[in-house]
Order: sequence, then structure tokens, then C-alpha cells
Amino acid sequence: MIAWLRSGFSTRRSRQGLWGVPLVIAVAMVLAQSLGTGQFATRENLFNLVAQAMPLLIAAIGQLFVILVGGLDLSVGSVISFSTAILSLDGPSVVLVPAVFVLAALVGGINGLVITRMGVHPIIATLAMQYILLGITRILRPTSGGKVPDIVIAAVQGSVLGIPLPVIWGLAVIGLAAKVLYGSRFGLHLFGIGGGVAAGMEDAARNHGIRVQRNVILAYVACSLFAALAGVFLAGRIVSGDPNVGLLFELDSITAAAIGGTQLSGGVGSLHGTVLGAIVLALLANGMNLANVSPFVQTAIKGGLLLAIVGLQSRKKMGL
Amino acid sequence: MFDGEPAYLIEMQAISKAFGPACVLRDVTLRLRPGSVHALMGENGAGKSTLMKILAGVHRSDAGQILKDGQPLHLPSPRAALTAGISTVFQELSLLPNLTIAENMFLGREPLTRRGGPDRRRMRAETAAALAELDLKLDPDQLVSTLTIAERQFVEIAHGIKADASVLILDEPTAALNAADVEVLNRSIRRLRDAGRAIVYISHRMDEIFAICDEVTVLKDGQYVGTRAISDVTQHELISMMVGRELSDLFPARAAGRGKPVLELSGFRVTARAKPFDLTLHQGEILGLAGLEGQGQSRIMRALIGRHKPAGGALRLLGKGLGFPGAAGGIRQMARLGLGFVPEDRKEEGLMLGLSVAANLVIGLHAEKPAFTPARSLKQVVQRMTDALRIRTASPTTPVAALSGGNQQKVLLGRYLARDVRVLVIEEPTRGVDIGAKSEIYALLRSFVQEGGAVLVTSRETVELIGLCDRLAVVHGDTVVAELPAAEATEHSILTAALTTEGAAA
Repeated sequence: MIAWLRSGFSTRRSRQGLWGVPLVIAVAMVLAQSLGTGQFATRENLFNLVAQAMPLLIAAIGQLFVILVGGLDLSVGSVISFSTAILSLDGPSVVLVPAVFVLAALVGGINGLVITRMGVHPIIATLAMQYILLGITRILRPTSGGKVPDIVIAAVQGSVLGIPLPVIWGLAVIGLAAKVLYGSRFGLHLFGIGGGVAAGMEDAARNHGIRVQRNVILAYVACSLFAALAGVFLAGRIVSGDPNVGLLFELDSITAAAIGGTQLSGGVGSLHGTVLGAIVLALLANGMNLANVSPFVQTAIKGGLLLAIVGLQSRKKMGL
Repeated sequence: MFDGEPAYLIEMQAISKAFGPACVLRDVTLRLRPGSVHALMGENGAGKSTLMKILAGVHRSDAGQILKDGQPLHLPSPRAALTAGISTVFQELSLLPNLTIAENMFLGREPLTRRGGPDRRRMRAETAAALAELDLKLDPDQLVSTLTIAERQFVEIAHGIKADASVLILDEPTAALNAADVEVLNRSIRRLRDAGRAIVYISHRMDEIFAICDEVTVLKDGQYVGTRAISDVTQHELISMMVGRELSDLFPARAAGRGKPVLELSGFRVTARAKPFDLTLHQGEILGLAGLEGQGQSRIMRALIGRHKPAGGALRLLGKGLGFPGAAGGIRQMARLGLGFVPEDRKEEGLMLGLSVAANLVIGLHAEKPAFTPARSLKQVVQRMTDALRIRTASPTTPVAALSGGNQQKVLLGRYLARDVRVLVIEEPTRGVDIGAKSEIYALLRSFVQEGGAVLVTSRETVELIGLCDRLAVVHGDTVVAELPAAEATEHSILTAALTTEGAAA
């Protein structure tokens, strides 16, 4: 336990990245905000905080999957908007909800295929997908509107035994991701592939008999599925479809992963770090909202925080 | 029972392979018997690694077929080879640094728990057992990035051995191992052989080949030379099979005389504690810094080219006094005066591996011009150097990384020769270079000094210094303790000179 905690602060002997830094910052923010304002520790504000943080948290977990293999997904924001647009179409929920995930899997599959088979750089491939999907979303739903199925709204806004459903969903998503990343061969292979990329040994994973292309494609599929889930979540909150609701989610999700100690070169990062990264961003927004800081200033501060935290982390590779 | 036909586990028949226009294997045959260790020998670039990568499923052959137990075997991927029971320890380390030893050992074929996840407990236990077999005291949960190179090499070997393979390919497994480690490895190899496995053993170290192998197949320039039983062949026969000529032809004749001094060190002190010394390099001669490893040969070299500041002394280069060496303009000024420095680690310090042969050759010429001068392609220069140095490359635009070690070294030398340097300072001129290319590099250096150049050289291989140089300066304790004519020097006389001179151990 102590060794594990220490690994969050040391670059040397861990592939989890420096998740101790966001942990310290998150704790400091919670302390500062509870002491600074009486409104923070209220039940209402805390649940609101979780509900606010959830879409970014889910999207960032998806982003973690592709960053671990040395990739990047810039189409996350468009997938989110696209998902809300699909849900706001006229149709029965038994069709719309599965359709969101099927289409997202398709998007992720195309991203992965273009990157692995055509050899397009992940930034270009997913940037193109971002534009394409944004265009389609605006055709489907030019402006915010439509009505999201009631079941989605109930699933996001309801509560069980006094616990709001977002908290339960959040834990379920984190549990699922933990199972996939740490409790499956697929997860281990993602780390292996990324470790090879980061160390400049692209063939190493393949030489071990790992199906590299298939696993990379699956990582992009997973990323899009998480993004779609974030989209469903947002749709339940805003109750309608919105072509702009996913705006900047691709960048915020990368920010959350990076703050959480995930290295963009691949192979180094952790689920708990990424969750902490998303929480730090949510706490930052929450605190500044309570303090009436203008959204423009908030954005600038977010950039500064990203730079400060990643700058603090040694960029040294895994001691190679 | 047997009808005289020997039973082969693996037969590679008439294998050919080309990368673009460069044909690396032509009609090569390799037959492996169960329960035997088969050496695969040849110079660097002879095609050994390519042949093994075909057997490991990394590359696909253009022609020929592979039989296992007489049945044709199709190997489209490393995974297919593993499934077929062919396991490889690659020359390049292929362990993933961010995974633990246990994870690396089982990567791609992890045992599963009943819940479907990797069975880490079993991986840990079996890894610990495999490491113990090799006398390794390593924690299976240690990340590979925390291991030393030799430890990684052993883990790599354990990885290959542990796979339930009938064929085990060891591609230079001992490159990073010391003698004691090699003995541990040999024990394991014998055990595997006795268990009926077929083992391919690639190594440049003759003593190992004769200690552990049963048969040897020699390749030369991508072609099959022959297969012999180790008991029927001598070291000299093997070398002539590999090179196509005798060892004594390796070194060119020495210079008849020498010209005026080109590089003069006086009162030179590498560190404050070292004794000052004088050293003069003349036109038309090759001067070697000999001595025990790590006694300051490399420090003297690096101080003299301005990499670090010596404690004292003066330097004259081609008649021009430079005071403290390198103090004024460093390597750039010395380069302008006509000195070239060829570093030991050509991959880290010398070549730009991703750039083409042509770019690496002419970059020295460009470096002399202002930064915004348009870079001409200098095609004739490239052509002239490629021909003169006999650099074997598919085309001038091939990345240097794709060349064999010997050809890479020739490109690096070519960079300075293209620039008309007068003095070459060379560390380890033939490190990681095979015998054939070594001899070509020696001839190149000799003809360079015959045309009025001068060479100062260090090498860990004393035999190389004795054969190549005209004169040896014996270095001990960061200073020159003796000078010997190379023609009369022996390894013994160099050692004696190094260790018996007073004041050497300063």
C-alpha cells in the first residue's frame, strides 16, 4: 500500500505515471473550498459536482485507452454531440439508445482502421473524424432542440436510496474500466503496445505475439464507446440534443488524462490518475464558479494548471 | 529402423529474400536436428538475422519453403511461429520496459484465471521458477526498465526458453554477458538440447561456438556456404569459410616513412593529477593509443578535440598553435583546420540514423557553410564516396539505419574523407563491424595516410591496434608512459610497458 502510494510520486519504478500530484492538488482544493466557503460542503453542491464531473470523467477514461497505446482521439467531442443528436431524434428509445453505441463503435472502428491500416497519424485521422461527425451532427440537429427519451433522463437525474444515479453510474464505469485495463489481457496488451511505442521499439509487442493492430483498433472503439456514454449522460442532463455540447471535450479529456500523470508517449498512465485528473478539473470549475470567476478567466487558469502540473512531472521516460 | 536419411526437425529449403532491390538471402538452406545445437555463422550482413526472422515469422521469404517434421509450415506472423513451437531470443532486446518481468515473460500468451483475467499469481510463480533455473535473483514483479542490460538479456533468454518450444533461436545471446554468465547460459542450453530441442545459436565468439554447438552452417553475402559438424572443422577453416580468405590478409602493409608533424601535444595534462606528456602525430602515419581499458585513452582523445577541458598543455594542429586544446573554437575550429573526429558510438554520437546515406555523407560539407546557404545535393560527392568506400546500400537515399554495422561505419568515415580532412581522430574504428568490413576499413585508413593524412586511433582490441598502426603510445593513468613501434609490439610488451613504468599510477 505504502509502496503503491509512493509510486504515485516517483517516475522511476511505475507505469502508473505521477498520479500523486493530482491527488495532492485535489485534496488541497477540497480543503480550500470547504474552508473558504460554506456552500462547498453542502450535500447539494457535492452531488452537483459529481453530476458535472461525470461526462468529462467518462470521456477521459476513454481517452486514456488510446493514449496508453501512444495514440490520441480528437473526435471525442464530436462523438458526444453526435450522441445527443441521435438521442433527440424521433423514435423509440429501444432503437435510439443502442443505435448511439453501435454508431460510436463504428466511429471508433473507422478511427482505428485508418490509423493502423492506412498509417495515418492519430491526430490527423481523428481530427478528420471530428469534422466529419460535426458536419453530420449539424445536419441532424442544426440547433439545440428535440426531446431525449424519458428513460435516459430518468437514468441520469434519478436517485436510489438518496444516492443520485450519477454517483452509481460513475462507480460502475470506473469499475468496468478497471476490469478491462487491469483485469484483462487486452488491458495488459495496451500497456505493452504503448511501452514499445514510447521506447522506440514498435515491433516489440508484435514480436511477443500480440495482435497489435487489432488491439489498437479496439482501444479506439473503447474510446468512442466511452465518449458515447458521456454523450448519453449529457443528453439526460440537458434533456435535448445539442450539436455544440461536446465542444472541447476532446481537449478537456486529454487535459484530465495528462494531469492524472498519463504520458502522451504511451505505456504510462493509470485509471485512478485519470479519474483524479477529471476531479481536479471539476473542482477547479466548481470552486471558481462559487467564487464568481469569469468563464474566460477559468479557461486561462485551466491552461496554466495543465502546464504547471505536467511541467512538474519529470518528462523522463521510464528510466530507459 | 531409419533408412539412413537423418531426421530433421526443421528444414529451410532454398530460402530467398530481398528488401527492395537489395537481395539479402539467395537459395539458403538450413537443416536443424532435434537434440542438437546448430551454430549459424557469417559476417554482419551475411543474412543470419534475416534468415532467423523468417523462421520466427517476422519476415516472409520471397521463395523457398520451410518444413517441420517433413510437413510444410506457413509462418505469416510471429504468433504463427510461436504456435508452431518456434521461439526466438532476438538480438535486439524486445522486452517492454514498462511491464514487469513476469508480464514480459507471458506477454501474448498469458494464462487466464477463471474470471478471464491474466493469472498473475501463476505468471509470477512460473517466472520465479524460470529465473531460478538461470540462477537469477530477480523479483518477477520488477519492471524491466529497472534492470541492467545483462539482466535484461537473461530475462530475454528465460523468455525464449520457457516457451514450450521445440525450436529455440538464440540470436547473439551473449553480447551483453560476461564469462560466468555465459557458462550459466551454456548449462541451460545443454539441458534443452538433452531434452530434444533444436537450438540455433548465433554468435561471433568462436570459443562459444566450439564449446556448445554440434553443427555449424556458414552464410556469406546472403548465400549458403556449407554445413559442417563442429568436430570436423577448425577455427581457421570456419573463418576462411566466412570471409573467403585467411586472417593474415586482414591488415594492409605499414607505411615506409613518415612526414612532418601535423598534431603536436606538449605538456599535456588531462587532469590536474595526471603527469604531463608530449605526443606527436606525423603526416603519413597511424598512431594508436594502447593500454589497459579505461586508463585514459578516451579521455585524452576527447580532451584533445575539445570535448572537455584539459588541466594544462598546448596543442599545435597543422603548424597552428591552439593553446589550450579546444579552448578557442572547439571542434568547429579544429574541423575548419582539417581535423575530423569519429566517435565510438556511431549510433548515438555520429550518424543521423533516420537520414539517408547521402545526407550523412555530405553533412560535413554543409556544416562548413552559413546556415542559410541552399543545401546542394552534391550527387557527385556522394557517388564518389559510395564507390571509393564500397558502401553497400540499395540507393543513396536509403536511411543509414538500414545498413549493416560495417557499412554504417564506412558512411561515418566517408563524411570526413569527403571533406578533405588532414587528420582523423578515431575511437574504435571497427566496433560492431564484421571481419570483411574491418579489413576494408583498415585499407581505407591506410590509403588515407598514404595520401598525406594522419590518423590517431584508440581501440579495445589490442590485436587491431598492433596490426593497423605504425606506432603505439601506451597510455596508463591518464598519461602516455611509453612509445613503441607497432611492428615490434605484442600484447605482452604493451602490458609490460603500461604496468612497469614509474609514475604511471598517478
